Amino acid sequence: MKKRMMVVALVCLSMLLLSSIAGCAKNKDTSQVDASKKKVKIGIVQIVEHPSLNTIRESFVKQLKEKGFEDGVNATIDYQNAQGDQTNLKTICQKFVNNKYDLIVAIATPSAQAAVGETSEIPIVFSACTDPLGSGLVTNLEKPGKNVTGTSDAVSAEKIMELAKRITPNITTVGALYNSSETNSISVINNLKTYAKANGMQVVEATVTNSSEVQQATTALVGKVDAIFSPIDNTVASAMPTVVQVTNKAKIPVYVGADSMVKDGGLATYGINYTILGQETANMAAEILNGKKPGDISVKTMKDMDIYVNKDTAQAIGITIPDQVLKEALKVFGN
Amino acid sequence: MLVIDAVSKTFGQGSINERRALENLSLTLGEGEFVTIIGGNGAGKSTLLNCIAGVYEVDQGKILLDSMDISLWPEFKRSRFLGRVFQDPLRGTAFDMTIEENLAMAYAKGKTRGLQPGLRKTDSKLFQEHLALLELGLEDRLKQKVGLLSGGQRQALTLLMATIVKPKLLLLDEHTAALDPSIAKKVLELTREIVAQHQLCTIMVTHNMKAALEHGSRTIMMHEGQIIMDLEGTEREDMTVERLIDLFGKKSGMELDNDRLLLN
Amino acid sequence: MTFMAFRGSLELGIIYAIMALGVFLSFRTLNIPDLTVDGSFVLGAAVSAMMCTNGQPVEGIVVAFLAGCLAGCVTALLNTRLKIQPLLAGILVMLALYSVNLRVMDKRANIALMNKLSLFNVLPGISGDNAKTIIPSILLIGIVLLLFLFLKTRFGFVLRATGDNDHMVRALGVNTDFTTLIGLALANGLVALSGSLIAQYQSFADISMGVGMVIIGLASVIIGEVVFGAKSLLRRLIAVALGAMLYRFIIAFAFELGMPATDLKFISALIVALALSGPVVKDKVNKLGPVMKEKINKLQKKISTLRNHSGGHL
Repeated sequence: MKKRMMVVALVCLSMLLLSSIAGCAKNKDTSQVDASKKKVKIGIVQIVEHPSLNTIRESFVKQLKEKGFEDGVNATIDYQNAQGDQTNLKTICQKFVNNKYDLIVAIATPSAQAAVGETSEIPIVFSACTDPLGSGLVTNLEKPGKNVTGTSDAVSAEKIMELAKRITPNITTVGALYNSSETNSISVINNLKTYAKANGMQVVEATVTNSSEVQQATTALVGKVDAIFSPIDNTVASAMPTVVQVTNKAKIPVYVGADSMVKDGGLATYGINYTILGQETANMAAEILNGKKPGDISVKTMKDMDIYVNKDTAQAIGITIPDQVLKEALKVFGN
Repeated sequence: MLVIDAVSKTFGQGSINERRALENLSLTLGEGEFVTIIGGNGAGKSTLLNCIAGVYEVDQGKILLDSMDISLWPEFKRSRFLGRVFQDPLRGTAFDMTIEENLAMAYAKGKTRGLQPGLRKTDSKLFQEHLALLELGLEDRLKQKVGLLSGGQRQALTLLMATIVKPKLLLLDEHTAALDPSIAKKVLELTREIVAQHQLCTIMVTHNMKAALEHGSRTIMMHEGQIIMDLEGTEREDMTVERLIDLFGKKSGMELDNDRLLLN
Repeated sequence: MTFMAFRGSLELGIIYAIMALGVFLSFRTLNIPDLTVDGSFVLGAAVSAMMCTNGQPVEGIVVAFLAGCLAGCVTALLNTRLKIQPLLAGILVMLALYSVNLRVMDKRANIALMNKLSLFNVLPGISGDNAKTIIPSILLIGIVLLLFLFLKTRFGFVLRATGDNDHMVRALGVNTDFTTLIGLALANGLVALSGSLIAQYQSFADISMGVGMVIIGLASVIIGEVVFGAKSLLRRLIAVALGAMLYRFIIAFAFELGMPATDLKFISALIVALALSGPVVKDKVNKLGPVMKEKINKLQKKISTLRNHSGGHL
C-alpha cells in the first residue's frame, strides 16, 4: 500500500517537473525561431482536445503544406491547447501576439474570442465557430473588414431534423439537450424551435451547465419526448456516453450535431466534414500569407454536409435505418 | 519534579508591541508540592504555565520535568505527562461528544491511540465511580453530550479528565475564574480533594488571594515576569490577604490596583 | 417522475453519498472547510478512467481512493506544516489538481469509457442494471459501517475531538497535525472513490465534472442532518448518506418541472441556506409561541380594565 502511494506521489511529482522542463524547452525553441526571420510564424490555439477539433487541426496542417507552407521548412507552426481552461486561452494568445506571429489560427469559438481580444493587427483565421456574428467575432459575414475571418461549422437543425424524420418518421415531440451557456448551442436550438413550429412539433428543453448534470437532465426527458436533439455542444459531447446509456435503455433516438457524437453513440447527424473544414481554413490561411487581407475574405459556412449514423445504437433502440440513408451516409459507425 | 531554569519569553520581539512576559525566571517544585501563583494582570502567570505546557516555546532557559529536558518538546508530547485545566470551561472538553467519550479520551492518555475500541464497558463503570465522587449527578448522564453541561460541571469534568491518568504535574490556569462564586468554591474543593488523593505536584494560578493562601503548601507572587515573593511554611501560615497586598506594594514598588485582585 | 428517473437518481445519490461522507468528515468532524474536494473528485474519476482503459476497473477504484488520500495529505501538510489557512490550502491543492488531473488523463479533457470493462460488468454473478444499484449500495453500506466503527476507535475519538476542540486534544497528548492529516486523507479518499465510481457508472471522466462538488456535498450533509436528524453518530452518518440521495431527487424533480440548469445552482444555494437556517427558524417559532400568548394576555387584561373603567359600556 505504502509503496503504491509512494509510486503515485513520485509519478505526480515527476510529471510536474517534466511539464515545467518541457515548458522551458518550448520557450527556447520559439526564441531560436525568432532569430531566423525567413520562416512564417503561425500560432494555432485550440480550446480543448476534442476529436472533431483535432481533425480540423490535422487537416489544416496537411492542406497548408499542399499550399506551400510546410512546418519546419518555410513555416513554424506553434500549436497550443488550452486544455479546456478559458484563462489559458488568453495567455496563449498573448504569447502569440508578443512574439509577433504572422498568423493566428483559432479553433472553436472561445479560442477565436480570446485571439480577437488580444490583437487587431495580426491576421486571425478562425475555424469551427458556429455563430461568428452572435459571438462577436465579425460584424459582417460577407465582408468582415478587420483582421478576422474564418470558417463556420454551423449545422442546420432543419437538415438534421429532416434526416431524423427519414429515420424515425413519427416524431411529434423533440427534447433539446444542451448547455444554455454555450452561445453556439443557443443559435442552433433557436433554429430547431423555428423548424418545430413550422412543422407542428413540440420542443421540450433540458439544459445543463456541467457534464455531471447530463444524466439527470436526459432522464428527465424520458417519457416526454419521441427523440432527443443535441447541437455541437461541448458539455453534452463530453457526457455523450451517459446520454446514450439513458436513451438506449429508454429506446429513444438521439440526433446530434457532430460526427464525433455519433461515434460516441448518437444515432445520426447531418453534419460537418471536419477534414474539409480544416482544408477550407488552410486555403484561407494560405491566401492571407500570400498577401490578401483577411477583411476582404468572406466567412465561409460549410455547404457540403454529410450523413453519419451509428448502427449499434440503431440496433440497441430497435429501429432499422433505411437503406437509402445508409447509402448516402459518409460513415456508418458500429458493426 | 519540575525545574524551571532561568526562563525568558518575549512576545512580538522587535515590534512596537514587544513585551517581556517572563524574565530570567527560575522555580523548582518538589514531589507532590502544591504551589499557588498570584499576581496582577500581565504578571506572566499564564505565560509561565503555557511555557511549561509547550503552548509557547521559551526564548531562553530550560524546563526539566522529572529530570527530562522538555524545553524543545512540542505541546502534545509534553501533555502526556501533564494535566491541564483552563480558565475557559469550553477549552477542556469536546462539546459534541458524550461525557464518557471525553473521559475515555483522557483515560487513553499515554497509551497508543490505534484502532482499538475507543470505549469499553468496563471503562464506563470506572468513569461512573469517578464521576460519583464529584457529587454533581454526572454519573447518571454518561451518554449525554458535554455541550449540555454548565460551566461548573464542565470544569469539574475537565479536572477529572486531567487527573484520571495520574499526571506528573497538574497545571490549573485560573480554572475557577469564569464560574459563579458558589460553583467556583465547589470546584476548588474538588481540586483540593483530588490533588490530596493522588499526591499531585500542582501549580494553580489564581486571582483569588484568599484561595491562594488556603490551598496548597506554597504561594508565589509574580510581577512583570519575575517571582517577587515565595511564601512557605510558617511565614505563609501567618499570612493574611491584607498583609499580602501590603507586601506586594512594597516589593513591586507600586500600589496593587487590580480590581479583581482586591475584590477577592 | 418516471421509474427510470427515480432509479437513476437513486443510483447517483448512492454514489454521491460516498462523496458526501467525505465532506462530512472534513467539514463536520474536522471542522475544516476543505475545498480540495472539487479536485480530488475529478482525480478519482481520472485515475479510474485511465485504469479502465487499461482493463483494470477494480484496481482503478482502489488506486483512485489512494490518490485521493494523497491529495488530502497534501492539503493537510500545507495547513499544518506550512501554516497555510485550511481554506486556502484546499484551494491551492484544487488548483494544482487541475493540472495533475489533465496529466493523469493523458492531456485529454474528456475520456469516454464506452464498451470498456467496468466495476459494473466485470464481477461474476452481477451485471447489467442490477449491478448499478447493488454494487454501489453494498459499497455505501460498507463504508458507513466502517466509518462508524473507525470513529468509535480510540483514534476515531481524538479525530472527532480535533474538530470540536483541538486545544483539548493537544492537552491530552495527541498530535493534532497527525489527526488532521489522517482525517483529510480519508475525506478526500472517499471523495475520489465516489468520483471513480461516477466515472465508471456514467462511462466518462471529464476535467470539469468536479465543479461545485463541495457545495453539493455540503448541501447533502446539511439536508441529511436537518431532515433525518443528527442525534447519534451512526444516525448522523446514515442521515448524510440519505441527504445525498434526497439532494439528487430534488434535482431530478427540478428537471422534471423543466427548470433550466442555470437556475438549479440558485435552488441548490437556497436549499442549503434554508437547511442551515432551519434550527434558527424553529427556535424563533418556538419562542414566538409564549411571546404571543403573553401579548394576548396583556391585551385581554387591558380590555378588561378598560371595561371596568368605562363601567361596562364597552
